[in-house]
Amino acid sequence: MINNWIKIFLYQLKKNKLFTILNTLGLSLGIAGLIFAILYWNDEQSYNDWNPHKKHVMHAVSYVSYDTYWATSVATFEPYLQKSFPELDSYCYLNQWYYNEIIQFKNKKEIVPIIDAQKTFFEFFPFEFVKGNSKNPLPDKNSIAISEETAEKLFGNEEPIGKEVTYSGRKLVVRGVYKISGKSSLEPQAVTNLINSRLEEDKDQWGNFTFGLLLKLKNPSDAEKVAFKLQRLMSENRELKWAKEQGITLDEWKKQGGFQTQILLEPLENARLHSKVDGYAEGQGNYQFLMIMVGLSVLILILSIVNYINLATANAIQRAKEVGVRKILGASKSNIVKQFIFETVLITTFSILVALVIVELSLPYYNEFLGKTLLIHGSQFYIQLIVIFLIVIIVAGIFPSVYVSNFETLKVLKGNFGRSKSGVWLRNAMLILQFGIASFFIIGSYIVYQQVNYLQNKELGFKGEQIIQIDYRNPYDFSKQGMREKLLSRYLTIKQELSKIKGVKQVATGSFSFGNGANSSSSFSHNEVTIQGQNMGMDFDMLDMMNIKIKKGRGLSEKYASDSISSILINETAEKMMNEKDVLGKEIDWNGKKLKIVGVVTDFHLNGPHNEIPPMAFFHFKTVDWMIFNVNKIYVKVNPEELETTKADIEKFWIKKIDGDYPFTYDFVDKHFARTYETYVKQKDLFSLLNVIVILIALFGLFSLASYSIQRRMKEIAIRKTLGAETKTLLKDLSKQYIVFCLIGFLLALFPVYFLLGKWLENFVYRIDITLMPFFIGFVILLILTLVVVLSKAYQATKVEVLNYLKYE
Amino acid sequence: MITIKKLSKIFRTEEVETKALNEIDLVVNQGEFITIMGASGCGKSTLLNIVGLLDSASGGSYQLLNQEMNGLSESEKSKIRKQNIGFIFQNFNLIDELSVFDNIELPLIYNNVPTSERKKKVEAIAERLAISHRLKHFPQQLSGGQQQRVAVARALINDPKIILADEPTGNLDSKNGNEVMELLTDLHANGATILMVTHSDYDASFSQKTIYMKDGMVISEKQNSRNVDVLVTN
Repeated sequence: MINNWIKIFLYQLKKNKLFTILNTLGLSLGIAGLIFAILYWNDEQSYNDWNPHKKHVMHAVSYVSYDTYWATSVATFEPYLQKSFPELDSYCYLNQWYYNEIIQFKNKKEIVPIIDAQKTFFEFFPFEFVKGNSKNPLPDKNSIAISEETAEKLFGNEEPIGKEVTYSGRKLVVRGVYKISGKSSLEPQAVTNLINSRLEEDKDQWGNFTFGLLLKLKNPSDAEKVAFKLQRLMSENRELKWAKEQGITLDEWKKQGGFQTQILLEPLENARLHSKVDGYAEGQGNYQFLMIMVGLSVLILILSIVNYINLATANAIQRAKEVGVRKILGASKSNIVKQFIFETVLITTFSILVALVIVELSLPYYNEFLGKTLLIHGSQFYIQLIVIFLIVIIVAGIFPSVYVSNFETLKVLKGNFGRSKSGVWLRNAMLILQFGIASFFIIGSYIVYQQVNYLQNKELGFKGEQIIQIDYRNPYDFSKQGMREKLLSRYLTIKQELSKIKGVKQVATGSFSFGNGANSSSSFSHNEVTIQGQNMGMDFDMLDMMNIKIKKGRGLSEKYASDSISSILINETAEKMMNEKDVLGKEIDWNGKKLKIVGVVTDFHLNGPHNEIPPMAFFHFKTVDWMIFNVNKIYVKVNPEELETTKADIEKFWIKKIDGDYPFTYDFVDKHFARTYETYVKQKDLFSLLNVIVILIALFGLFSLASYSIQRRMKEIAIRKTLGAETKTLLKDLSKQYIVFCLIGFLLALFPVYFLLGKWLENFVYRIDITLMPFFIGFVILLILTLVVVLSKAYQATKVEVLNYLKYE
Repeated sequence: MITIKKLSKIFRTEEVETKALNEIDLVVNQGEFITIMGASGCGKSTLLNIVGLLDSASGGSYQLLNQEMNGLSESEKSKIRKQNIGFIFQNFNLIDELSVFDNIELPLIYNNVPTSERKKKVEAIAERLAISHRLKHFPQQLSGGQQQRVAVARALINDPKIILADEPTGNLDSKNGNEVMELLTDLHANGATILMVTHSDYDASFSQKTIYMKDGMVISEKQNSRNVDVLVTN
């Protein structure tokens, strides 16, 4: 039986090569799209999967004002965590970001991403220890635990345990070597235990949210209880205290606009995709982008399946006689259904293979696009592949098979293949669905293009061209005397020396980075208003070099002695928040210091063009002397004509005089800034690519469908020609119904596009309005493509030899 | 074998009602070779289709092998059809995409006959109908007469109890047509029951009895006599 089916399948294949190829290719593209989305999905979902404590490890997130969540917490909780929290297994304070620093062993120096944490770290991330003590790998602050990779790089074949390495001027002993057991939100290549002295410094500071805090709960359902306890502790030591100082109750204080800090505990298993903050060094996955990818690829798969169904049922008409004969010879309906499902199985299997080839070939580009290293393998993936296979066969195979098996034997043998009304309506409905999906993609990608274009061309408020930012290591030790003055004078020396290099026009720095924001923020208040401002510590030349304009008053300058003692500038956003008619000359309370506002700076995009501009406070390094600690970049304006030589000279100078150990890393400010919204540029590119694929699939389908339906009307066309119909009228007649379908499909897509794209635009603080333009363009493009396809087929039809189709019975 | 009593068939569309068969009575005994003749539109093809279980009657009774056929479901009809009836059509109705061998084999496949047995049967019947040398060819490569012979082979392969032929020589020239009619005569001589529909008096003369129809009713019957020259040798 199967042999018989295979023989006829192959025959049909050879006879209809073009249509079979188009159909299979369409299905392959749809499946390939879904495979891409699945690989991405599997990867994102696998973070922290290996960790047996993923439900019990909780990250304490601080909710500090109406829409501000911080990934850090206060050191002051520690004594309470030790005594009053029986719900906890353990706790761990840590720095959640890697220190990319040099570890040295004898002559080998390696730059290693390091996490500094309390000694309980490995209870939270139980990496497998291959050497050393896994029970207590960080017994004291002179210990360090390193990964297998680091051990290999520093020690080669030598035994690392017990050996001494140098890190940041300290000597540490290697106590353990671990293996990173799986994708993890933290994958440090070394862990140190130096944090306790810094925790000690902040032990009474209820306002310094400096450290990350992880809690391991015995029972995850205690999370809310624990969070509430922590919150109450905060309240007692902060908001209640403040209210008492003002002589009012907590409720009254809240009524005046005070916000009571809340604590949220987020389990590790949700950290990657569902966290409110970017709280781990390996970063957050973009959940929205993931959902978009999955959604779009499902749409495309639907499109290609609908396409397949349409083509299969249209093709079935060619097979009508065969089906009729089979039925006469005794085939039951289920025999026929099985035969056609078998054909679908063959085509689907082949499509999946082609899809895998497509994915394999494009994987490098896809990986580059996502910034990942995805592979086609994994048992979960194969199971998903089988599920896709079954779904496609069921959805795409059943309808055409059932349709075919219902052919009435007598009718088809007589050549009288009358169509059933419901069959035709279903096919038309599917064609309209295809048009709808194509419209969605065309309009959607135009809107995405418009928005990204808007971002790329937006006025930023500063000029970053020809300005290089050089990564500057500012090593400091708190305990040393006069550290701040030392650092400041070091910077001023560097500035002087750099300025002497030929081609360097200006040098300046600030405690912030264009695109990444300020490195710290503090609150300041005036009258009743409290503002959490970004701390923009800088030297006198920064604003001028970046072409940032002063709106009111004046900038900071060396001419005024007070400008390095008690003067401060604020930006327009801060000015609005202050609710004061004239801010110039007013005194504010900045973190305990009294500073006077001498100017207002025009707003500029500190955090990327799609983010809000935060309130900012600008002051000289000397005014707030610890600001110098937060400097990690030096900005240099270079002459564009001598760019290459100047860069080389700066590099030579840097390596010789400033930092010989770490590689000289720099970037252009405008390029660096552009990367902050890179993900949106990528989304635009993705959408455009998918757009092309969708249009291709839809056009394949339209082309084949139009061919078949025109073919079936050949007799009618021949008769009309004999009666004298002109080509023009025939063309209009044949293409009319497709124009109507195109229109209906377009109308169907209108609401989904408007709604979904509107939601996407909410990502952006600065966004375009959805105008009529994308809809108009979408409609025109779709209409033109449809007309081209249908009219070309129709024109062919009108040129045929009439006699071929006028048969004598 | 076949007993038909007061059989009616009415074709209904939205506006028009056509009475194709009007209370027909007919009996076909085993081993008979009967022809149904009449002008176009008299209902003979309709009658043949109902006898072949390809269509259902609107009223009356149709008994095949003492079993009532009226009212059976399609799958039941399909089963009875494939086990008992063989069809020969005017336009052959071969599957052009399959080879001659595959075409003849098809009814066996639907009757779940195992592969080895199938091959034997197909080769035997091809031999009998003198088309063994064409088994690997495709229908379009054969002449009209040969195609009809393939169709006959296919109709016979399951040893059907009754053979229904709808204008079997309609698409053939006189020489090929003659061959087909002699084939049918041969089958009849070997005990087959045949019901044939035709326009041609010449073809009808090969059968035992001719039934004339007009406007959905039987108007007359006639016994045919044929002059056969028999040579008897001792």
